[in-house]
Amino acid sequence: MSGRGGRSTGWGAVWRASRAAVRRRRPQTVVIGLVVLCSSTTVLLALTLLGSASAPFDRAFAAQRGAHAVAVFDPTRTSGAALAQTGQRPGVEAAAGPFDQAVVEISEDWNGQPAGARTVVGRADPAGPVDRLDLRLGRWVTAPGEIVVNLGHQGTPRPELLGSTVEVDGAPPLRLVGFASSMTKSADAWVVPEQMPALRPTAVQMLYRFRASDTEAQVDAGLAEATAGLAEGSLTNVQSYLALKQAFSAQADSYLPLMMVFGVLGLVVSVLIIGNVVSGAVVSGYRHIGVLKAIGFTPNQVVAVYLAMVAVPGTVGCLLGTLLGSLLASPVLQMAFSGVETGSAAIGPRPWAPVACLLGMPAVVVVTALIPALRAHWLPAAQAISAGSAPRAGRGLRVQRRLSNTRLPRPVVLGLAQPFTRPGRAVMTVAAIVLGVTAVTLTTGLTSTMVAFGAAGRVDGAARIQVEVGSTANRRTAPKLTDSQIDELLRGLPGADRVTARALLQVRLVGYPQARFVNFYRGDTSAAAAQMVAGHLPEGPGEVVAGPSFLRQHGLAVGDRITLDVHGRQVPATIVGETVSGNPRAVDSNWSTLQLLGPDTQAVDYTVTLAPGADAKAYLDAVRTADPGLHPALLGSGNTVTTTVVGFASVFTVLLTIVAALGVFNTVLLTVRERRRDLGMLKSIGMTPRQVVVMTVTSVAALGVVGGLSGIPLGIVAHRLIVDNVAVVAFPESMKDVWHPPQLALLALAGVVIAVLGALVPARSAARLPIARVLHHE
Amino acid sequence: MTSDSSRGQVVVRLDDVHREYAGTSALSGVSMQIRAGEAVAVMGPSGCGKSTLLNMIAGLDRPTGGTIAVHDEDLGRLGETGLALFRRRRIGMIFQFFNLLDDLPALDNVALAAQLTGVPSRRARTRALELLDELGVAKLKDSYPGTLSGGERQRVAVARALMNRPDLLLADEPTGALDSRSGEQVMDLLVALHQTGQTLLIVTHDSRLATRCASRLIEMADGRVVRETTPEPVA
Ligand SMILES: Nc1ncnc2c1ncn2[C@@H]1O[C@H](COP(=O)(O)OP(=O)(O)O)[C@@H](O)[C@H]1O
Ligand SMILES: [Mg+2]
Repeated sequence: MSGRGGRSTGWGAVWRASRAAVRRRRPQTVVIGLVVLCSSTTVLLALTLLGSASAPFDRAFAAQRGAHAVAVFDPTRTSGAALAQTGQRPGVEAAAGPFDQAVVEISEDWNGQPAGARTVVGRADPAGPVDRLDLRLGRWVTAPGEIVVNLGHQGTPRPELLGSTVEVDGAPPLRLVGFASSMTKSADAWVVPEQMPALRPTAVQMLYRFRASDTEAQVDAGLAEATAGLAEGSLTNVQSYLALKQAFSAQADSYLPLMMVFGVLGLVVSVLIIGNVVSGAVVSGYRHIGVLKAIGFTPNQVVAVYLAMVAVPGTVGCLLGTLLGSLLASPVLQMAFSGVETGSAAIGPRPWAPVACLLGMPAVVVVTALIPALRAHWLPAAQAISAGSAPRAGRGLRVQRRLSNTRLPRPVVLGLAQPFTRPGRAVMTVAAIVLGVTAVTLTTGLTSTMVAFGAAGRVDGAARIQVEVGSTANRRTAPKLTDSQIDELLRGLPGADRVTARALLQVRLVGYPQARFVNFYRGDTSAAAAQMVAGHLPEGPGEVVAGPSFLRQHGLAVGDRITLDVHGRQVPATIVGETVSGNPRAVDSNWSTLQLLGPDTQAVDYTVTLAPGADAKAYLDAVRTADPGLHPALLGSGNTVTTTVVGFASVFTVLLTIVAALGVFNTVLLTVRERRRDLGMLKSIGMTPRQVVVMTVTSVAALGVVGGLSGIPLGIVAHRLIVDNVAVVAFPESMKDVWHPPQLALLALAGVVIAVLGALVPARSAARLPIARVLHHE
Repeated sequence: MTSDSSRGQVVVRLDDVHREYAGTSALSGVSMQIRAGEAVAVMGPSGCGKSTLLNMIAGLDRPTGGTIAVHDEDLGRLGETGLALFRRRRIGMIFQFFNLLDDLPALDNVALAAQLTGVPSRRARTRALELLDELGVAKLKDSYPGTLSGGERQRVAVARALMNRPDLLLADEPTGALDSRSGEQVMDLLVALHQTGQTLLIVTHDSRLATRCASRLIEMADGRVVRETTPEPVA
């Protein structure tokens, strides 16, 4: 006898007991598995998204040892030697320069970009301690007369342009010998230093990397330290890498915050529902725990049985969910980053995300199971055995008596009283419903807002056609017709309803380092009007509007004045309005402003809105026939950002809804199963099966109503908090106000329906069970 | 018979055992001894503390006062794990409502008890099948408890309780949930076990069960022992 029953024995029995429980409690096992599966997918997508949002820039920037600050100095106020000294300060990690810098005018459209000012820097070496350029094609400049062009983040280098000549106003032509890419965007093009005098440099450039550079304040401090010894006014311009970083993913920035909300929401809801489902499994197993203890399972072995019971479906669910999430990650990322300039920085699923998911989700399952399992650990066995067999009826009875005075049918009264007999279980059920309804309310609300955002100013059912004008810039046949002739043609063709023309100019914003664009619109403005959040559309000359990203990045607001500079022609402008969203590097204006800046500029494209029901194909053909230099294309029904966000939000909404519904379903299932004996008893005293179902469903529907009524306001408040705090999209009130009574009623109904569905299945099985069998089942 | 059993070594010793539940007293000063080979029946009205007493001896619950020793091992000194190991080795339990594991077939329910003590699975199942056979329910070995009748379930429960050859078999109203014929059969079983020398403690309020199975009868009321008698031996 002494050799038997030692501490380490009996683990085979533990495995046997848990395996049997997994196999025999199929609904519970399946629900845990499904919840973990959907949660793992949601969490993996969330992690992938969060991980990719800012990392691409950082990695590419680090690889090039990008400059934290590009400082431009006035050469008349300082010397090369003094500038070289600035790189020696303790706060400066590395520095490059001084390099001569010139702003040259390129008069012709060239390489797919409009004519305009370009910053050219003289640099002998593309490598060096800071801003190591990626030479994408060709070679570096070796002699005067050669130029290397910065590709920016976008585009692929075009080999056919190598060797071509770039005409520069007031200077000898330069031969293009290579394409480079600078994450720092330190210049638009580079030449050898000896070339610079011919280009008449007006400034000197220094590139710095600082020891501390995480915040704008640190970058400022580093720069202040470096330039402390220089003469007053010698520093004329600074470009911080933080602004670049922001601009890099600016387009994605407009919806990434919203997507992060979905991601975080997915994480939180998943964890809470897993907790609810898993702890439900443990709590409903108290009698089982008592029996295990009575036959000699040690407390640790009991905990082990319960952990294994949830770990088996949890692991399977996590594996499948991670797999599904990995399969979805690439398309979802592509969707999320479509249209974003990625340049040499690659965007792909992060390998750590599945790893984190595979380790994290089982950990969540185990931890959530551990809490109630540890309670079971300490529960005296004698109490555990009798737990569940005798609910305390006191409170339930009192409620029942009070309700009996009403005219409600008997089973309804009993059903309404039921939650009070097991308050703990009722609270858990309500918690699951509240969580589910809140999540669904919030996600559907966000989706509605985004749909409204995308649909702003669009006429339903009307096709939109964009007509691109061929030019050397886009290397397409140029039209024979003039701007006004084209406008007339497009308006005259059958089916045309409204026509808008757009011209584009690259400008310098006086006081800011980088080139910016202005879109000039002519014609119908109803679509643009719907995009306004504050102020009004540009009306007179010199009026512009911009999106929140542009305003934020330039520290501007509606009412501020800016100066636009094209080819040295300066025009003051006023920001008269804010649009919902927009390019962080561009402002929008009207045709009368274009007359001040570049009167000879032609429209680059036209947008034609057809009358509802008009034949789009016939219109396209007619345009092509009229002038082969016009390149019409049917526009998609939504803009890409909206499609992306709506698609993305839908994926998360569906996943979260499934998870929440499963959570509610599971809780209700457990509740009803616990009451099976009561149900048998009621049947034995004459309740019909139908009455049993009515009673059970009523009990759960009551909880559903309570949960729905508290979940909906919570969801609405959360929605409001989120849409008010997305900095890059300024939603007008009309887009935030997505809640309407019928929709709310539907949501409340959804909570009740989920709960009732969860109740119906076990209630009907209980109602059909022979009384003897039910009573027999302890 | 009395002299015979009193010669046995003391298996259970209770010394002034108290148990209180939130103010109310379930046991108030119970002292008794059970010797090897004895069959003791505990009788008394519902709520007098019989189940509480049994749970204390099985180490499923702890007294709020007094001491319980089984084979001179003070249960108060054992932790939860120690009590579990103690139950595996020394105690077999039978309940009014069987308390089988619903997820496992009859054979596995029985074999599980032995597997807990480290007996290899094959050997445990062989012995479990022998026991089920002895109790006349071998053909139900693959049935799940939910599909068995009360009497069948109780016999499977008895097999499980006997699996580890316990020093002490505790039975809490073993016939309480059974029809008279099944109850009869379980009684016969307990009598037979007593005759093989199994030490028994049976809680019941069925005086027929008590007189048939027990060599000693303890009557309880309000958490105290009120009378101890030796019933007429059944011929
Ligand atoms: N876990 C418990 N919590 C509170 N009171 C209990 C508990 N277990 C038993 N009691 C009370 O202790 C007394 C004795 O119960 P019990 O030993 O089950 O009686 P019986 O003799 O019917 O088996 C009863 O009054 C009962 O209500
Ligand atoms: Mg009892």
